[in-house]
Amino acid sequence: MSPDSARRAEAAGYTKVKIFHDGLPAWKKAGNLMVSEPAALQDFIEKDIAHVLIDLRDADAARKGFIPGAVSLPAKDLSTAKDRFPADKSAPIVLYGDGIDSDAFKTVRGWGYKDTSVLSGGVNAWTRHGGKLETGTPGTVISYVPKPRPGEISIEEFKAIAEKGSPGIVILDVRDADEAMSGMLAGAINIPAGDITKRLKDLPKDKEIITYCNTGLRAESAYEDLKGAGYKVMFLNALIQIDKDGKYEITKK
Amino acid sequence: MVSRRLSVLIAASVLTMVLITSVGLSFAEKPTVLKPCVQCHQPEKDLVRGTLVSVTEKFKTINVQVGQKLVWIITYGDDLKITGADKLSAISKDKEIGIRFTGDEKKPYAVSLTVKPPAKVAPEKLVSLEEMVKLVAEGPEKGNFLLVDSRPKPRYLEGHIPGAVSQPNDKFEELMATVLPAEKDKLVIFYCGGVT
Repeated sequence: MSPDSARRAEAAGYTKVKIFHDGLPAWKKAGNLMVSEPAALQDFIEKDIAHVLIDLRDADAARKGFIPGAVSLPAKDLSTAKDRFPADKSAPIVLYGDGIDSDAFKTVRGWGYKDTSVLSGGVNAWTRHGGKLETGTPGTVISYVPKPRPGEISIEEFKAIAEKGSPGIVILDVRDADEAMSGMLAGAINIPAGDITKRLKDLPKDKEIITYCNTGLRAESAYEDLKGAGYKVMFLNALIQIDKDGKYEITKK
Repeated sequence: MVSRRLSVLIAASVLTMVLITSVGLSFAEKPTVLKPCVQCHQPEKDLVRGTLVSVTEKFKTINVQVGQKLVWIITYGDDLKITGADKLSAISKDKEIGIRFTGDEKKPYAVSLTVKPPAKVAPEKLVSLEEMVKLVAEGPEKGNFLLVDSRPKPRYLEGHIPGAVSQPNDKFEELMATVLPAEKDKLVIFYCGGVT
């Protein structure tokens, strides 16, 4: 996506265009600071997507108003709280305070939680966004029970459909055409995730659509677009590798 | 009723003949390159560049869109050399392809077909992880740059590089005026999610 954007920026006359091609995977892997936006946190809360939310402010400040579902864990106590964090290192963890606390991020990220982020703009940004605060005593026990994301199909169910096919189901490959060209699931059709909204007429409304990409990211984005357009749709939220003959291997994330 | 339908048919076939004739007359100027391809490719006499419409196995033809209303119909045989795909059926519709042909424009016969490879980035345009870390530590204002996240908006909201702004690639044009700087010589860095 970024090389294409860079080309378009150059076509529009920008003369100093560069690409950080290693992108987010390299940035995250190296443990660099990640920030998340209030809108995503609101989504977590409203859609009941499993996550861990930590209020880093002093206990007094937290009592006066904390984000729903937050666990109070003042930054000064964080370094000794490792045992209280979930066993599952892929748990999305959102840290917040008054601003961006990059030390707290480093601590938690350093324990191996690869999906840690700091809430952009802290509590103030949350309330500006329209987010509600609760008063009273926030929780102190971190609990994390992984749940499928809305629209996620189980790997077993996906495999069963991919093996046998089903007249009422369309398997949709949402990777770019050149990726799909090097190997696609048997019977699947290819519409790149970015083109879905422009190509809805190519998709039957009376069938269920199941999207996949390489990692589930674009599949979920396509899921959201299709759901918004009134389709019955699910997506595969897993790593999938497909070879030229359509043989595939699915790995849980 | 019957006679009217018949006259419509006759009119249609006359029209078709006229069309065929006029196409025949314009053969000498039949374009070989789809407009967007001209940015990178010079037109060549025996090379058609455009997007794949379809392959008809029964008639052994490849149909390539080269203009809004212009499709080249090129015949092929078992000796067709394909680069960038295993077989014709593996090339998806609308994919950018180039076909070198022999024969004249009226009866082109495909010699070789090349599928446009995925974009490669020139090394001088790349920002390394180390450079990125330094720039982000400085911040967009002090470092005088703009960092743009090309991924879909929900991915940006869930987590992004500090200081980055969101301009999803599929909404590039509509967001250009609000996201990109007025100064065209400002450093603009794009990133996305690598393999997704």
